[in-house]
Amino acid sequence: MFSAITAGRRGSGLGFALPAVLLLFAFFVVPVAALLTRSVTEPELGLQNYAVLVGSSTYARIFFNTFFVSGVVTLITVLIAFPVAWALAIMPSRWASIIFAIILLSMWTNLLARTYAWMVLLQQTGLINRSLMALGLIDAPLQLTNNLVGVTIGMVYIMLPFMILPLMGVIKKIDPAILQAAALCGATKAQALRRVLIPLAGPGIASGALMVFVMSLGYYVTPSLLGGTANMMLAELIAQQVQSLVNWGMGGAAAFLLLVVTLGLYAVQLRFFDAKEAR
Amino acid sequence: MTTPFLHINGIRKTYGPVVASDHVELAISEGEFMTFLGPSGSGKSTTLYILAGFQDPTAGDIKLRGQSILSTPSHKRNIGMVFQRYTLFPHLSVGENVAFPLRVRRMGQSEIAEKVKRALALVRLDGFEDRMPAKMSGGQQQRVALARALVYDPPVLLMDEPLSALDKKLREEIQVEIRRIHQETGVTILYVTHDQEEALRLSDRIAIFNKGKIEQVGTGPELYANPATHFVADFIGDSAFLSGELAGVQGNRAALRFANGQKVVDIPLHGAGRQGQAADLMLRPERVELSAEAGAEGASLPVTVQDITFLGNCTAVAARTDWGDAMTVRLNFGHPLAGRLARGDRLHVRWSPEAAHAFVRG
Repeated sequence: MFSAITAGRRGSGLGFALPAVLLLFAFFVVPVAALLTRSVTEPELGLQNYAVLVGSSTYARIFFNTFFVSGVVTLITVLIAFPVAWALAIMPSRWASIIFAIILLSMWTNLLARTYAWMVLLQQTGLINRSLMALGLIDAPLQLTNNLVGVTIGMVYIMLPFMILPLMGVIKKIDPAILQAAALCGATKAQALRRVLIPLAGPGIASGALMVFVMSLGYYVTPSLLGGTANMMLAELIAQQVQSLVNWGMGGAAAFLLLVVTLGLYAVQLRFFDAKEAR
Repeated sequence: MTTPFLHINGIRKTYGPVVASDHVELAISEGEFMTFLGPSGSGKSTTLYILAGFQDPTAGDIKLRGQSILSTPSHKRNIGMVFQRYTLFPHLSVGENVAFPLRVRRMGQSEIAEKVKRALALVRLDGFEDRMPAKMSGGQQQRVALARALVYDPPVLLMDEPLSALDKKLREEIQVEIRRIHQETGVTILYVTHDQEEALRLSDRIAIFNKGKIEQVGTGPELYANPATHFVADFIGDSAFLSGELAGVQGNRAALRFANGQKVVDIPLHGAGRQGQAADLMLRPERVELSAEAGAEGASLPVTVQDITFLGNCTAVAARTDWGDAMTVRLNFGHPLAGRLARGDRLHVRWSPEAAHAFVRG
């Protein structure tokens, strides 16, 4: 009787999920399948689109740019977000909520507006270059836009909240008494950070890093505005192939490769953390 | 006077207008088991945290073997501590938790293995090296915490209500373990608790804290037999307090008069008092007797029985004095009066001379 109840509950749960499953199927699975089909049928049946993507040095450069920038952005984001999240977690709650609101507010501001703001700040005669020159730190303006440096700066800024939020979640759950215990055990601040705090924050770092890395791989607006055409990334390639060249086959192949890489990374993370939990 | 092993020298800690601890002065000898006993907010934990280096005192000093330790940060004080909450590192196995203090001291691998083994044997958790803390009971976790705090041979071990999260039976079991470990290692222990029974069971000496100050320091029997203040008398033991006023003071003996004019005489008075001041007569329960006959003049009080409760090894008799104060007297099983009492009976409370104490109220 008991199992009948749970079975019934499970059945009705599936019923509730059905609209969402249908929606996902219609608007996600079907278009992806269509794209995949076009990537192996246009202009003719075969894997020639993939062969070109993998074989050509131009495209290899684009893949390298994409993964390199995403990796650097993820790394810098972790390094900045960790102390910020730590400060937010231990700060008096009134101050923490104000700073938290500022972070959220920046997330809710239009992405295009924020990217244009960075263009203004980073350009040759922008605030940053002029300040550095006024301080006498540099003689000539630094090239901060139309290259990967600008893309990295802009993307780190945009990705920061996505790293701070999960990190704050895990850090808040760490009992301060555990760090006091580490100190009395003789651990210096650096040792406590490396041996206790970072391992305990590990799951938050991993989920934040995965989110930032995957989002960076497919990012379009910021790389195209701050990177210029010479430093293309994967999303720009897809847009160019589909919009300018109407080459659905090539665009589809690039998009599908991106999806496969993303799912692969997700699988690795799931496996890594499931194994840890099971222990 | 020789330099004390550990000297808590006039420690004062204030948070704005709030005084958390006020001129705490205490000398502790090497190998001693000293307990800070008091209600919550009495300053005992604050004093312990200052010793651990988590807080700085507003004034005063702490000296270990004559050297001030206040300018030494926590991680260099080489002090062991077991906390109230479970503070094992959840991502490390039991063995790695105990090894942690040795690893941060960059000790050699074989030495670490040997010391960890010995520390776990000390708390009787041999063979638990690979267990994760989450898979252990609260009592086991606190024993691992004890091993972790002792593995680097600290001169002083601090314990901040380490058993308060455990149930009564387990608590008593670990109290026995703590006593044994203290005897085996000879480590100096400072133990904080609000449980008088725990304090009496474990300690060589007890410091009673109240409102940021130490009211009295002494062994359990000293505190019980000779409480210096009303607070100490109330906090240690389960005594009756009858309220009256001082009718006469001679040296350290006093006579008390109660609201209805009844008097008791020749009661040891603790602290200074003048005639006419409000004062309490304290009666220790085990030296108090119920009797059908009155005792000598001024050495017994008539009471009326309110309620009788059989508790197995004894019978608790709730009685009321003629001016309305309540007290409970226990009659051991088999006491001639035990079976024959009824509500409303008139009896006399009598006491042996050591059982009665007078305290000025205030």
